[in-house]
Amino acid sequence: MSDFQLYLTNTAGLSSVASFWVFVASNGTKRFQGITLKVANGVMLLGFVALTVAIITRGIEAQRFPLANLYESLLWFAWATMGGFLYLCRSYGIQQLGWLASLLAATMFLYGSWLPQSQHDISPLVPALVSYWRQIHVPPLIVSYAMFFLAGLSGLLNLWQAGRLRSLAYCVGTIIAASSAIGLGTFSKVDTVWLQLLFVLSSVVGPFLAFASLKVQDAAIEQSKSAKKAAEMYDDVGYRCVAIGFPLLTIGIITGGLWANHAWGSYWSWDPKESMALVTWLSYAAYIHLRIQRDLSAEKLSIVSVIGLLLTLLTYLGFNSLGFGGLHSYGKFK
Amino acid sequence: MASLLKQQDQDDKSKDLEPVRAGGASEPAKKAIAGKDQISPFASVKLSVFLMCLMALTILIGAGVPQESQGGQEKVFEVFGPQVAEWLVRLGISDIYHSPWFLALTATLTLNMIVVSFQRVFPKLRLLKNSLPFFRGQDILKLPIHHSLTLAKADESTALIADLSVGLTKLGYKVKAEGSKLKGEYGVVGRLAPSVTHVGLLTLLLGITITSWTGFTGFQPVLLDEKLNFKDSQHSKLWVGSLPKWQVRVDGTRRENYSSGQAKQWFSNLSVVDDQGKVLHQGEISVNNPLTYENVDIYQSSWGLAKVAVSFNGHVRQLDLRPMGEKYACFLPLDQDTVLIMSLASEGKSLRVFAKRREWQAPKLISEIQTGKSIKLGDVDVVFEKAIPVTGLQYKRDPGLPVTYLAFGIIMIGVLLAAVPHRHVWVALEGSELYLGGTSRKAKVGFERSMENLVEKLKSSFTLHEQTPIEEGEQADV
Repeated sequence: MSDFQLYLTNTAGLSSVASFWVFVASNGTKRFQGITLKVANGVMLLGFVALTVAIITRGIEAQRFPLANLYESLLWFAWATMGGFLYLCRSYGIQQLGWLASLLAATMFLYGSWLPQSQHDISPLVPALVSYWRQIHVPPLIVSYAMFFLAGLSGLLNLWQAGRLRSLAYCVGTIIAASSAIGLGTFSKVDTVWLQLLFVLSSVVGPFLAFASLKVQDAAIEQSKSAKKAAEMYDDVGYRCVAIGFPLLTIGIITGGLWANHAWGSYWSWDPKESMALVTWLSYAAYIHLRIQRDLSAEKLSIVSVIGLLLTLLTYLGFNSLGFGGLHSYGKFK
Repeated sequence: MASLLKQQDQDDKSKDLEPVRAGGASEPAKKAIAGKDQISPFASVKLSVFLMCLMALTILIGAGVPQESQGGQEKVFEVFGPQVAEWLVRLGISDIYHSPWFLALTATLTLNMIVVSFQRVFPKLRLLKNSLPFFRGQDILKLPIHHSLTLAKADESTALIADLSVGLTKLGYKVKAEGSKLKGEYGVVGRLAPSVTHVGLLTLLLGITITSWTGFTGFQPVLLDEKLNFKDSQHSKLWVGSLPKWQVRVDGTRRENYSSGQAKQWFSNLSVVDDQGKVLHQGEISVNNPLTYENVDIYQSSWGLAKVAVSFNGHVRQLDLRPMGEKYACFLPLDQDTVLIMSLASEGKSLRVFAKRREWQAPKLISEIQTGKSIKLGDVDVVFEKAIPVTGLQYKRDPGLPVTYLAFGIIMIGVLLAAVPHRHVWVALEGSELYLGGTSRKAKVGFERSMENLVEKLKSSFTLHEQTPIEEGEQADV
C-alpha cells in the first residue's frame, strides 16, 4: 500500500471521527447549530472524497478491482455509509442521522485498521476470485448492507423521537452486544461458541424486550409535535434506505448465483453466507410487506429494521468472525 | 369523495387509492378485486409474512449448523460432539434443507405466493387502466397533503392553471385538465413492481422445477489420462432426464502460481470422447471458465497432487499424497519408531524427504530429490519419478437455466420498479380559491417538499396567499 493511499485512507478515517464529534457538538448549541452542522457535513464530504480517491488509487496500484478481502470491503462499506448519509441529508435535510452515520463509518475504519497487515497489503487473488463477476456481485451487496445499517439507525432515531426510550435502550444494547461478539470473534481468542451465543441471545432477547416496552412512552416527548414530525421523517428515511438497499441486495444475490453457476456449476448451494443473505432478503421482504400493508406501527417497524440491521451484521461480518464455514471464506483472515 | 375515502379505509389498509379507482372502475375491474370473503385464506399477506419469517428462521438454523450435504455427518459430530450431534441428526437439523419440515414450509410458501399472486397482485393490474376522477376543493382538503390558497387577481386564473400544469409536468407527472381542475399521476410504473416481482418468482419456480425434473449434477476427482463419466451424478427422484453416453478425458492439468508460490489459476485440458475413444470435442478449462458440450457444463472446481511415483531399487510405487496446508505429503513407516515422510510443494518442485523418530520433536530433512534424480538411503536407491496431479471436475446439465435466468431478470426489474414512488396530485380552482393536494405511498417527505416548493414558486409568480399552511409552526427537529 502506497503512502499516498495510506494518507487518503487515514484522512477519510479521521474525517469520520471529526464529523462525529462536530455532529455531537451541534446539539450543544442552538445558536451555532446551523453552522456546526454545515461544518460536520463538510468534514464528512471531505472524508467521502478522500475515501473515493483512496479506493480508486488502491485499484490502480493493485491492477485489479479493489474489492477482494475484508479490509477492502470495509473501505467500501464506510464509503457507502458516508455517501448514503450525504444523499439522505441532501434529500431530506436530516442532520441527526449524521453522528450515527459518522460513528458507523469510524467504527468500520477502526475495525479495518486493527486487521493484520496482510489484509492491508495488496495481495494476489485466489483462483476463485479471478473473475469479472467479482465487480458485478460484491459492490451491490456492500452498498445494500450500508443502506440497511442506515435504515436501522433511522429506526433508532424514530424510537427516540417517538419517545420510546426504553425500547431504544434495548435496541442500542442489542446492537452493542452483537457488535462486541463480532469484535471479540475477530480480534480475540474467545471460544466462538460463546460469542455465537452472545450474538444470538442478544439478538433475540433485545428486540423482544424492545417490542414489549413499546407501550412505555416518555411523557415530555409525547407532547412535542416537532418530535412527532421528526419521527415520521425518520420512519420515511428508514423505508427509503430499505427501498434502495433491497433491490441492491436482490441484484447482489442474483449476480452471486450467476457467478456461482459460472464458476461451480450451481447457482445455489446453501453455503452459510449465501443462506444468510437469503435470510436477510426474506427479513426485508417481510418488512416491505408489513410496511405496505400497514400492519405494524412506525415504532414496531423501526424495531424490525433494527432486527434487519442485526441480520445484516451477521451476514456481512458475523459468519466469518463467529466461526461459521462456507465457500465465502475470503472475508476470513484467521 | 367522503364515501370513496370511507370505502378506501374499509377495503384497503394500505390507504392507497385502489378503492377510489375501483369506485370509478368498470364492473370487470370491480370483480377483479375480490371482496375479503372471496379471497382464500391462503392469500393472506399476514400468512406470507409469517411464512417468510419461519423460512428465514429455518435457513438461519441451516446456516449456523454444519449441513451433512456439505461437510458430511462427521463435521456435525466434530462441531457438536456425539450427544448433541445425534439429536441434530435425529431431528433433521443437520440436513435441514432436505427435511420434511423445510419441504413442507417451501410448499406452503409456494402455494401462498401463487394464491396471493393470482388473487391479490395480478388483479390490481387491471385497475391501472382506470383513471381517477377530478376532485373538488373540499375533496382535496381531505387528502393527507394539501394546500389552500387565495388568488387575489381573478384575471390570473387561466395563467395559474397553465403554470401549474407545466410545473407538474416538469416534476414528471402525467397531467390531465378539465376546466379549472387538474389531476396528475407520477410513477405509475412503480405500481407494476409487485406484479413483475411475483411473475419473476413464479418463473423462478418453473425454472427450478424444470431443472429438478430433467437436470443432473456431480463432482469427480480425475487423475491425468483418466476419464470423467456421469454414472455417479445426482438428480431428483422425480427425474425424466438422460445421462450422456460420452466421457471426458483429462489430457493435461496444471497449476499456475504467482511469484510468491501462491496458486493463481488451475487449468485442465479436456477431450470429450465417445465409446470408441473418438474425440468429439476438446478444450481447456480453468476456474470461472468451464467447457460446454451438448448442454453439459464441466467446471474446474479444485486441483491437487494425488500421488507421487517413486521407485525403490527399480520398483516403481505410486504413493498417495495427503494435502498438508499448502503442501502434500505421504508417510512410510519404516519400523515401529521411524517414519519416512515425503513432502511436495507443487508439480515441478523437488521432493523433500524427512525422517521422524519417536524421540525427535520434529522431522529431520534428509534430502531433496529433483524429478528424475535419485538418492541413496542405506541400501535403497530412491528415484523421484513424477508427481501425479488430480483435477476436481464439477459437472451439470441444467435445462431450466434459461427460464431461471429470465426469472432473475424479471425479479431484478420488479425490485427496481418498487423504488419508484407512485403519486397523485389534484388541483381545483374554485372562484378565487386554489386547492392543491395529493398522496404518495412512498417517499412521503420528498413528496411533501416537492408540493411545498411548487406552492412557493406559485406564490412568487402570482398573487396567492396561503390560508391554511400545513401544520403551521411545526418544523421537524431533525
